[in-house]
Amino acid sequence: MRLRIHHTTTYRYEPQATSVIQILRMTPCSHDGQYVAEWQIDVSNDTKLDTHEDAFGNVTHVLSCGPVGNIKITAEGLIETHDTGGVLRGADERFPAGMFLRTTDLTAVNPAMTAVARQLRAESESDTLGFLHTLMSQISDHMTFDEDPTNSGTSAAEAFTLKRGVCQDYAHIFIACARSGDVPARFVSGHFLRSDGTVHQDAGHAWAEAYVDGLGWVGFDPANSICATDAHVRVAIGLDYLGAAPVRGTRYGGGAETLTVAVRVEQAGRGGQSQSQSQRQS
Amino acid sequence: MLSRTAENLYWLARYVERAEYLARTIDATLRVTALPAAYIGKTNEWDSALLTAGVAASFYEQYKEANETNVVEYLSFSADNPSSIRNCIESARLNSRSVRTALTSEMWDTINSAWIELQEVWSKGTSTREDLAKFLRFVQETSLRFDGSAYRTMLRNDAYWFSRMGVHLERADNTARILDVKYHVLLPEEEHVGGPLDFYQWSSILRSVSALTAYHWVYRETLKPWLIADLLILNDTLPRSLASCYGNLVRNLDQIGVAYGRQGPAQRHARGIRNRLEHSNMNDIFQHGVHEFIQEFITDNSRLGEIITKQYLI
Repeated sequence: MRLRIHHTTTYRYEPQATSVIQILRMTPCSHDGQYVAEWQIDVSNDTKLDTHEDAFGNVTHVLSCGPVGNIKITAEGLIETHDTGGVLRGADERFPAGMFLRTTDLTAVNPAMTAVARQLRAESESDTLGFLHTLMSQISDHMTFDEDPTNSGTSAAEAFTLKRGVCQDYAHIFIACARSGDVPARFVSGHFLRSDGTVHQDAGHAWAEAYVDGLGWVGFDPANSICATDAHVRVAIGLDYLGAAPVRGTRYGGGAETLTVAVRVEQAGRGGQSQSQSQRQS
Repeated sequence: MLSRTAENLYWLARYVERAEYLARTIDATLRVTALPAAYIGKTNEWDSALLTAGVAASFYEQYKEANETNVVEYLSFSADNPSSIRNCIESARLNSRSVRTALTSEMWDTINSAWIELQEVWSKGTSTREDLAKFLRFVQETSLRFDGSAYRTMLRNDAYWFSRMGVHLERADNTARILDVKYHVLLPEEEHVGGPLDFYQWSSILRSVSALTAYHWVYRETLKPWLIADLLILNDTLPRSLASCYGNLVRNLDQIGVAYGRQGPAQRHARGIRNRLEHSNMNDIFQHGVHEFIQEFITDNSRLGEIITKQYLI
């Protein structure tokens, strides 16, 4: 599937910020199920924009500018995706899977989650994939999608207790439980083509990847209760949201900050078939 | 577009690229063999030249010894060697004649006049080294003119993309072949930094892909084998590196896929190879064996050639 993605992030500082530094993780990489045909990042101001890679192999851009009142960051491009049944192949793996058992503040478990994980793990015995699938559907049953009560700093345990949250919270809970069941898991940020035809979205998407022996990394999207498909565009990975967030940064000076995100994910129109023939000569 | 047309465009570009590569190989070999034997070691450089061209077996059916006269004759002018420079130019002209109207007049001109010059000036081969140098220059300039006129005059449609695909597939194959034959001089354990033997061998590898100056621009260092391998395999700013060829191949295949509204195994296979190149680093490649890596690449690359043929050209 060919997806056109248009992702804008606007910051407004009142009064102006003296200087702003931000790290953008907005650039997808190719793997076997995903090919980046076009991609560009555009910033509304004259800024320095350096490209680097972080330890996980995510492409990062470091943006620094100031003084500034408004910054609009636009990431857009065309991605060709294939359904690989959720299995990730051909990606840049820089760490042994075991490193992703490491827990973080946002993905710490509470006793209730440990209990769920332990019970599901016991039921599925040695079937790791089965454990992850039941875990995904359990989380999906337990939680109600609700944008209000949580924010980007809500931890897995808090969201689990609230029984409410957004895709990021679903992913955190999944990761926390998988890790407590001794399965390496990590956070994925990216974009998702909604099946209901909604093109405009208020935020990017987030899901999780878990490591299954013999299969490798498998994408699980607990918010939609499916494995990653060709509707998912994988942008960055990390131990949790903070490691894979599209924008992280700091500023000097300035007062209130308003952040607006608009994402458009749609299937790209096919180009017309071009045909030209040449006369036979012999 | 008829698949026959696509096939002619693709092979036309491949033959021209191959002719240039052969000319470069001969040129680089001449330079190395002009040095005293103490500098270049015991390897028979003319034998290596045959190996990189992939024609060693058929050569020895006809000749006993791989020396300058025999090898230059076989690689440049022999009618019996299907990929001699002469046969490459002949095949290129045959292919372009059958798609004359799909080419721009500049491209046709280049190939046709090269073919005429081959008949009129070079029909008897070359008798002196000076002549040979002129001939090799003529071949390289033909390829430059062909590439340049394609770049400057062709419409950016499937005809152009098929032609570029031929160039990049052939180029990747050629670079990989050089690495395959010469990989042993690139291995770290054989290193005697600054030794004349290695220095001339290494610069000859770089020269055969016209990357000697590029090397110094990129690394600003004396010649080191692992950096040469890095440049030729992974550096996608070098037009003849494997990574760069695959960046272009994937793009061309994608453009064709979009224009035809249909993707297939060729796109997937090419992307797979590009991903592997993009996510490799030299340490891992050396650890798992350069030779194995290159062998695998050559197999993958010719497999892509077969897939493209099956998907588009027949």
